[in-house]
Amino acid sequence: MNDKVETALVVGGGLAGMEAALKIGQAGYKVVLVEKQPVLGGVLGQLYSSFPRWEDPQALLNNKLEQIKQCPQIMVLTGMLVAAARREANVYCVDLQGTNQGDKRQIKVDAAVLATGFELFDASVYGEYGYGIYPNVVNSLEFEAKLKEWGSGHSQQLPPQSVAFFKCVGSRDRSKGKPYCSKICCMYTAKQAGIVKDMFPEAKAYVFYMDYRAAGKDYEEFTRSVIETKHVRYVRGRPSKVLPENGKLIVRAEDTLMGVPIEVEVDMIVLAAAIIPSAGTKELALMFGAVTDEYGFLEHEIFNPVKAGDRVFFAGACGFAVETQGAQYQGAAAAAEVIGLFNRVEQGGD
Amino acid sequence: MPREKYKDKIEGLYKQVDTYNLVENLETCLACGKCVGNCPVASLNPSYNPRQIISDVLSGDGDRWLDSEEIWRCFWCAGCATVCPNDIQFPLLMMQLRYRAVENNYGLKYIMPFKRFALRAREDGLTFAPSEKGREKIKRYRSNLGVSPWPEISDRAKAEYKELFDLTGATEYLNNTSDESEKPVTFKYTEGRIISE
Amino acid sequence: MNEQRVVAPEELIPEVPESIFLFRSCTGSMEYPGTENAIKEVMNKLGVNIVMDPDQTCCSGYLLTCSAYKPEVSLAVTARNLAIVEKQNLDTYVFCNGCYGYNRELTHIMKHNPAYMQMANDVIAKQGYKYEGKTEIHHVQELWYRLKDEIAAKVVKPLQGLKVGVHYGCHYLAQQYHILDDGGYPTFHEDIIEAIGGTPVFYKERQLCCGYSVGRGITHKEATVQPHLYKKFKSAKEAGVELMTTTCPGCNVGLDREQPNLAKRYAEEFNIPVIDLSQLISIALGVPVRKLGFEANTVPLDGIINRLGLERGESSL
Repeated sequence: MNDKVETALVVGGGLAGMEAALKIGQAGYKVVLVEKQPVLGGVLGQLYSSFPRWEDPQALLNNKLEQIKQCPQIMVLTGMLVAAARREANVYCVDLQGTNQGDKRQIKVDAAVLATGFELFDASVYGEYGYGIYPNVVNSLEFEAKLKEWGSGHSQQLPPQSVAFFKCVGSRDRSKGKPYCSKICCMYTAKQAGIVKDMFPEAKAYVFYMDYRAAGKDYEEFTRSVIETKHVRYVRGRPSKVLPENGKLIVRAEDTLMGVPIEVEVDMIVLAAAIIPSAGTKELALMFGAVTDEYGFLEHEIFNPVKAGDRVFFAGACGFAVETQGAQYQGAAAAAEVIGLFNRVEQGGD
Repeated sequence: MPREKYKDKIEGLYKQVDTYNLVENLETCLACGKCVGNCPVASLNPSYNPRQIISDVLSGDGDRWLDSEEIWRCFWCAGCATVCPNDIQFPLLMMQLRYRAVENNYGLKYIMPFKRFALRAREDGLTFAPSEKGREKIKRYRSNLGVSPWPEISDRAKAEYKELFDLTGATEYLNNTSDESEKPVTFKYTEGRIISE
Repeated sequence: MNEQRVVAPEELIPEVPESIFLFRSCTGSMEYPGTENAIKEVMNKLGVNIVMDPDQTCCSGYLLTCSAYKPEVSLAVTARNLAIVEKQNLDTYVFCNGCYGYNRELTHIMKHNPAYMQMANDVIAKQGYKYEGKTEIHHVQELWYRLKDEIAAKVVKPLQGLKVGVHYGCHYLAQQYHILDDGGYPTFHEDIIEAIGGTPVFYKERQLCCGYSVGRGITHKEATVQPHLYKKFKSAKEAGVELMTTTCPGCNVGLDREQPNLAKRYAEEFNIPVIDLSQLISIALGVPVRKLGFEANTVPLDGIINRLGLERGESSL
């Protein structure tokens, strides 16, 4: 067999995209990995810690980056995004464009894997929580950045004395948000609350929840350890209102397990905002003949959860909220689809 | 508190309460408690708990709220509906719970003042018009402002308004509303609850 | 819920109307006639013509809140009132949050349940009316916000930084859809206060209900409403509020008339006068005090009038 000539395009250099690129490249096919940020990593690069084993996400990221470096089949283009794509016979003609300057390129690829990931729902529609109004109300990604800062030991900011975590902000809400459950927030909130107690043992941490969803290997044990050994207080009740008083924030909610309305005074509030597909996912999908659902997540074909259309696949949170390991599984599955496709092409099929 | 037997619950209580089909999405209630956290009455009387009342209605428990003092405490401020993630219009459910209570002769003492107001409004075309002394003051204030001493409401308006009360059965109903056979209401949601003063 | 929640004022009221139908409020025209007058004065200055109709009756929504009778009569009365407005081909502008909430709620019920629309129309047909569901329900506060810049341009007596604590009331924001601001953190009244030279105060219990609720203020005054109001006024006083504004005569009654009773019960004076937002705007636009009917207020406005250097006028205050 001659040199494999097929090329795959992977859009998005987060964990799912990197995994897909690696598996395709390590199988010997060419891959163009396009990432709009100046570095690879996506949300994985923003994380301070991970569940359920408290592992350093940077180690996982470095492992992938090292493997990518070792794989000559993969061409990494950071600071670039897909401006347009056209299907011509069995090939996609893709116009790439630099995010800062007008650096333009045109490439032809035989298959595409979309892995553009997620962003967080804008929590400022919840006027009652004061996101965007009170400075110490932040969302979970912003808080993860704070954890990195405190964890670096170089932070100028005073550590908080009490933090409240609100789950389901924008999720499970037909009125102002999205009706679906964002799947990973229960776990990452437990993680963030646990880290606060590790870093600042004297600080108080409260998690306001309706449910906690720990469906995964080691997940329940992880959450219980946060409650039982790290002493994070879980209060069942979706907060109704946040009011400022004397420089602090008052959280009004009901402790539904006791049936009593309560007020809790905290310094900082972290909102686990709903997971939504990255901006531009829908437009990107249409360019490749893929379809998105009413929330903008990519739809898969029947019987095939990573296939979005002919010669187009997807992986990671652009399909729905997913945790780290799941993004890896999906990236690998999408890669397997591409490899299978390219194999059949070489053997005269497709 | 004695253990409740689930089979004693009333089948179809939800529809027996929501006869006007105004709260069709009650089963979307997540019991999240956002309503209670925002409720001004709950912060003063913790035994008033909209979430628990919804739970009773959905599970068919008609005993607690029917002769309770709690359902008469709701301010109808709709603070609950404003924050509810599923847009459950709780005040409209509360209104119908009160109808059921009154039909069973509970809470009439809280209705009687409005019987008087409504019957007087039926004559005036305006509601909450005060007694003679109060009216004199109003006429004086209005005249000082240079407007008509009494709000301009036509005789036709008053006649038609009265007629609407008659045609819809309101007049007969109001006239028959009486607290003769009234049965007492008490706080029913206080058992097993923490009340802090 | 696909209907949009908060809409910009230009979307809510695309064209500033030449004429509006001003829906008479029972409590407004009896307890605080100055409010109705103030609205007419401001509308006059803004060039909006006001139409009222003596055939319009009480909105009768209070029957829902107090459960004195079933909704049938309220639906029929609402349909009749709005049929009268529709005959004039105008949009309905109320100046009471109660009228707003009830009219919107009842029209929503009729529009989404054809059986109720039919029932209401059957009854009022006997009097020769037909309600088609065409007239839009608005509140004058929406027009104040829509014309905020015009109002600001016409200010002749800016409020000199007067510390105003607004009271939004419940029933405007509780409609949640197709309204000017979010019920979670509304700010449009504060924007208006700033535009006329006042200092808005965001006191902690700013969004607390007035407690009057056309019902509980009568049946549970001592039990719940007074402790509840005490919380609100305590929070306002601690934040330094000098004047409170409302957009509902019902709220005005609850907040204004109850203060002496609170003072007696809690041995604490609040002395925070409560007036309608329209009356405050009128002051800023130079409407003489004698046209604003402050003699109807229980908590006197003397302090504010002196503070702003206004002339009292002929009527006794």
